[in-house]
Amino acid sequence: MELLLLFISQVLVNNFVLARFLGICPFLGVSKRTEVAFSMGLATTFVMTLSAIATWLVQNFILIPFGMQRFLQYVAFILIIASLVQFVEMFLKKTSPTLYQSLGIFLPLITTNCAILGLALLAALNEYSLIQSTIFGFGAGVGFTLAITAMAGIREHIEFSDIPAAFKGVPITLVTAAIMAMAFLGFSGLIPM
Amino acid sequence: MKNSTAYLIIVMVVISLASGLVLALTYNFTIPSINEIAAREQEQAILAVIPGATKYETYESAPFPMYKGIDDSGSIKGVAYVIEGGGFQGIIKIMVGIDMQNQALTGIKILSHSETPGLGARITEDWFQSQFAGKSINDAFVARQDVEAITGATISTKAVSRLLKESIPNVVEQYKTLGGGK
Amino acid sequence: MGATYEFYKGLWKENPVFRMVMGMCPTLAVTNAAINGVAMGLATAFVLVCSNIVVALIKTLIPSKVRIPAYVIIIATFVTIADLILAAYFPDIQKVLGLFIPLIVVNCVILARAEAFASKSNVRLSILDALGMGIGFTWALTLLGIIREILGMGSIFGISLFGEGYISWIIFILPPGAFLTLGLLIAFFNAFSKNKAEDSCCH
Repeated sequence: MELLLLFISQVLVNNFVLARFLGICPFLGVSKRTEVAFSMGLATTFVMTLSAIATWLVQNFILIPFGMQRFLQYVAFILIIASLVQFVEMFLKKTSPTLYQSLGIFLPLITTNCAILGLALLAALNEYSLIQSTIFGFGAGVGFTLAITAMAGIREHIEFSDIPAAFKGVPITLVTAAIMAMAFLGFSGLIPM
Repeated sequence: MKNSTAYLIIVMVVISLASGLVLALTYNFTIPSINEIAAREQEQAILAVIPGATKYETYESAPFPMYKGIDDSGSIKGVAYVIEGGGFQGIIKIMVGIDMQNQALTGIKILSHSETPGLGARITEDWFQSQFAGKSINDAFVARQDVEAITGATISTKAVSRLLKESIPNVVEQYKTLGGGK
Repeated sequence: MGATYEFYKGLWKENPVFRMVMGMCPTLAVTNAAINGVAMGLATAFVLVCSNIVVALIKTLIPSKVRIPAYVIIIATFVTIADLILAAYFPDIQKVLGLFIPLIVVNCVILARAEAFASKSNVRLSILDALGMGIGFTWALTLLGIIREILGMGSIFGISLFGEGYISWIIFILPPGAFLTLGLLIAFFNAFSKNKAEDSCCH
């Protein structure tokens, strides 16, 4: 039950993109087409769940026992994420060429997606257990997918709308995001902490 | 030579070692100051919620952070403890002071929170925190009745009130088992 | 296209926030008050200058295959140093910026400057480039912080502007206000500039 609440709160209430400002770059950059945005969301969810597990293991079995979490955490986490992304890329290339074709191009972008590092740091900060971290990572990924896919759906329509020249491109996307964030504010307080 | 696997590994190892070394040195250099700041903040918070106290001692055997505030003459002015629990958006951490003789709160201080800026975050404002000083520990702590609520942040107000109400009996109990004022 | 250009381009022509649309996470997240914008900008500028110097110094030693992980380690090292220094000497700022200090590691402005500039230039130009970009980033965040703080809190750098009677638009210090303010600002700059802001960041 508690895990279900954690999941829902990551998807809706504390949505990584619209409430925490994590993963804004792909949210603005890869949200022109719904299918592409959805694939990006899937790839991110996959890496997020895996990196939540991997960083938890490193945090609890290496960094904390050796008392290094205060000064080696950032370097260690970003290295884990970068290698994980590399590994997933190689793995997909070998085992599933079709999946690699649809997700592969996004993988390098995911390393510098601050949502992944933010997720690892937040999970460590909240001292989540392994199961909580996994659900946290998965929920955050689903929330990201929801936000980026919805945004792409809206942008496909905006493209044909008559908007002022100065607003074309980034500005109208940001204004759309503002309205989406306002809608998501309605979820706040949904789950008692 | 430059693209051989061995060279790649050597470069990465050297960079990682250099990074680790630099960070360990910086850490050793800054940690005294970081610890000092944490200790000073803790002392300030304890003394702020127990008026009249000039120093504090920690109850080592208490299951949660609990301190006694002592004045210059060595008499106990009150007990302070830290309680944390869920607010509107995240964990709220509060330092609470109780005068056990008079069965009253002597003050509270919000140590950390992640409430909404401009709304729930106003629990850190003086008027909100100071209204708890002097309240009886048997008070009902009902927001909007005996606790003045923040406009637009009833849930944050309720969270603080609830944390206080739930934690006070525990602390009184602990205080007795730990031998009271001795 | 001299040395002064390398400094000056980051201020406006290639401004990381308003023109290149990079580093959006800290730009949106920490700018609910002017002082936070300044602090975040300066912390980022520090990391930018340091990592650009180191990358420019050792660029010939790093094989191209591992250059990205190598740069990331260098950047993460300086971010940790900045975090520890802030925690030790400016604890209030460190607490406010919180999670967004470690996230400087993945601020694409920094990796992009290391990759696109410092790895191809000498130390002197790399410093100028980093300073220009750092100052450009700082003023952009400060401007956003000032606008959001005035509208959302009725104050500027914590000094109350309109007195007790002002009913603040709290929405401006909440997430929607961040998106809206930045969107309107970029549209405003687009209207008065020949070049439009880049369509997407970090590519």
